[in-house]
Amino acid sequence: MKLTLENAYKEYNGIRVLDIDKLEFIEGKIYVILGSNGSGKSTLINCISGLDFLSGGSILYNGESINAKIRNDISIMVQKPYLFDTTSLNNIISGLKYRKINQDEISKRLEKYLSYIDINSLKNKKSKWLSGGERAKIALLRTSVLETSLTLLDEPTASMDIESTIKVEKLIKSMSCESRTVIIVTHDVYQAGRIADYVIFMDKGKVIEMGLKDKVLKKPENDLVKQLMNMKI
Amino acid sequence: MLEFIKNFFFSYNDIFEVVMMSLMVSLSSTFISAILGLTLGIIVSLNDFKFKKHIMRVANTLMSLPPVLIGLLVYLLLSRKGPLGGFQLLFSPTAMIIAQSFLVFPIIFGLTVSSVAEIATEVEKTCISLGAGKIDTFYTILKECKLQLLSVITAGFGRAISEVGAVMMVGGNIKDQTRVMTTYIALETGKGNFNEAIIIGIILLLISFTVNSVLFKLQGRD
Repeated sequence: MKLTLENAYKEYNGIRVLDIDKLEFIEGKIYVILGSNGSGKSTLINCISGLDFLSGGSILYNGESINAKIRNDISIMVQKPYLFDTTSLNNIISGLKYRKINQDEISKRLEKYLSYIDINSLKNKKSKWLSGGERAKIALLRTSVLETSLTLLDEPTASMDIESTIKVEKLIKSMSCESRTVIIVTHDVYQAGRIADYVIFMDKGKVIEMGLKDKVLKKPENDLVKQLMNMKI
Repeated sequence: MLEFIKNFFFSYNDIFEVVMMSLMVSLSSTFISAILGLTLGIIVSLNDFKFKKHIMRVANTLMSLPPVLIGLLVYLLLSRKGPLGGFQLLFSPTAMIIAQSFLVFPIIFGLTVSSVAEIATEVEKTCISLGAGKIDTFYTILKECKLQLLSVITAGFGRAISEVGAVMMVGGNIKDQTRVMTTYIALETGKGNFNEAIIIGIILLLISFTVNSVLFKLQGRD
């Protein structure tokens, strides 16, 4: 899997909210995107997923533009995920059902992913009765079980407790071990330090710093990133 | 009073057929309008296009269209010299269903767009992100918006069952053929039989209450 963005931009009412010269993502790596509110992080992953569209430029997945076939190889957990009005378990397997995955395979995947995040007490609970953190867990599992080559996660642990966050991070790491690429949007610099292979800093729609985790988090070149990293401490 | 009611049902022994005709015409027109209105309403609510605002403005205007005007238009369409005169549908239950469908469709379409726009977009995005096809997405939207859509259908049925002007014009209020409860009430009132008109009105209310109760039950509000 190789994902390339070139001269990609997105405008809302004439205002440029995303402006990427060139950005590349390679197979089996975990990318963490950091940046302040409104820096274009969510817009970027929404455009990659095909949920939103660029105003100009290109996103190439293995050299091809995003089309219906490619979209099936990409999964996304959006910032405020919508859960269907059914049980947690039905929500988790909904994507597998849409993709006509057989029951044996569904059972196997459930066993595998529920070993990372235990939702036994939530399985038969209707989505409307779930708390924010519980909703996030179900949405994350629903995205993970699809086992797509590229997984996009928008603030997956924002509403979770520490214990759940650590479990989720373990799950994300396991995905990259299976050569799946994961792009995560977060505000948590410490989380980036724990799980990222590469870190991307964004500001005003642009990538202001990108590189290996240790380099970006410990020796940033951009002044704004330097400031932010100092504030962290 | 009991004697009066007993005499009423003895003298008005055609009331059962009238009730059945009312239900057949109103349920048929609501069904036709629901199929078209819900489908088009969901499509319009999910898409942004150039004339969307204009379409909504027209739909909102048509929601408050006087029934007699629809009655007149359908009458002109179906009359012997009209474009559809060859089908000889005027003064038939089919003509009444057509007229009521014209009245109910804008209500179901307009209310669908305004009530499901936000949730349908959310559901559509979720379905796309999970790899659902178009048919699965549409079915899921219907399922997720069940509450709102049943409310819309209830409003549409309410308009149909209570309508009198259009069905009177295109149905003709012919005994045993096109007489429905509302036109029956109008007829009896015209003859000065107010007590009879009130009893038919109460029956109409009870039927409307029963149908609404069923729809409420389906919404899971009970």
